[in-house]
Amino acid sequence: MNALAETADLIGALLLFLGCLQSLLGVIGMLRFPDVLARSHAATKPQTLGMLLVLAGVALRLRHGIDLGTLALIAFFQFLTGPVASHLVARSAYRTGQTGSRGLLRDDLDPQLSDEEQR
Amino acid sequence: MSDRPSHRGTLRIGSGRRVLDLPLIAWLTVIWVLLWGTLSWANLVNGVLVAVVVCLAFPLPAVDLGLRLRPLGILRLVACLLYDMYSSSLSVTRQIFTRGPLRAAVVAVPLRCRSDLMLTSTAVAVSNVPGGSVIEVRRATATLFLHVLDADDPGAIAAARRSVWRTEELVARAFGTAEDIALAARPAPEEEQSP
Repeated sequence: MNALAETADLIGALLLFLGCLQSLLGVIGMLRFPDVLARSHAATKPQTLGMLLVLAGVALRLRHGIDLGTLALIAFFQFLTGPVASHLVARSAYRTGQTGSRGLLRDDLDPQLSDEEQR
Repeated sequence: MSDRPSHRGTLRIGSGRRVLDLPLIAWLTVIWVLLWGTLSWANLVNGVLVAVVVCLAFPLPAVDLGLRLRPLGILRLVACLLYDMYSSSLSVTRQIFTRGPLRAAVVAVPLRCRSDLMLTSTAVAVSNVPGGSVIEVRRATATLFLHVLDADDPGAIAAARRSVWRTEELVARAFGTAEDIALAARPAPEEEQSP
């Protein structure tokens, strides 16, 4: 029983560390990517995975029924609200033309928006 | 409670206009208990009371979402999403450290299901996975517009579209009605028209 608890603690600590590392990678990506849209890739998603890893690590250390439920709730809302925020940022970035100095390789959305403006 | 004359604010649950949404109240109560962190009768009763007050104070329009919960499908969806998050965050990491010419593209992906729930949950699932972020959604044509990083790679755009369609099918099998599943199982609308 004690060995089991120690193993869980160890794996939990490892997951916490990995989660922090993943979030750090997101920050580095944010500093290195050139424009808003590319940065939103680095700012939102590695961080979601990092958050899940941190929560899993915390869960392994807490090991208590209702705490696990609360952690699951946090993960659920993180999963649900993150995309809304990143979508709004990306949408306004696109509509104000902040698509990077090198331009887009291909753009399926622009013709549709132009169509609507003409109507 | 069942057959009082219905005017605004009455607690009519049943065939007519539904004021109190029982699944919603149950869900709000679960959140309340989890936030307090202890399961006790006092918490439970208070949770139900708060949920009822919230539902009465901020009534939502009755919408038929067409939501079905299919446990097996949900498990498969979660497993696939976790795997996708893991594998594609590796590739985003690679992109971060290779200072290459990053050229992005905006790609339209028409979905096969038309229901709002399928559109929303596919968009949420797609934008939680690294590699494509949703910048615009067209409800009328059920089209997602994705921003794809690293579109220089010739296969990247096609791969992004395929992965959205795969996610759509998984989402339909997790939350969709039988009709949604049938729609999502059809072959993809038009495979890559440009070279």
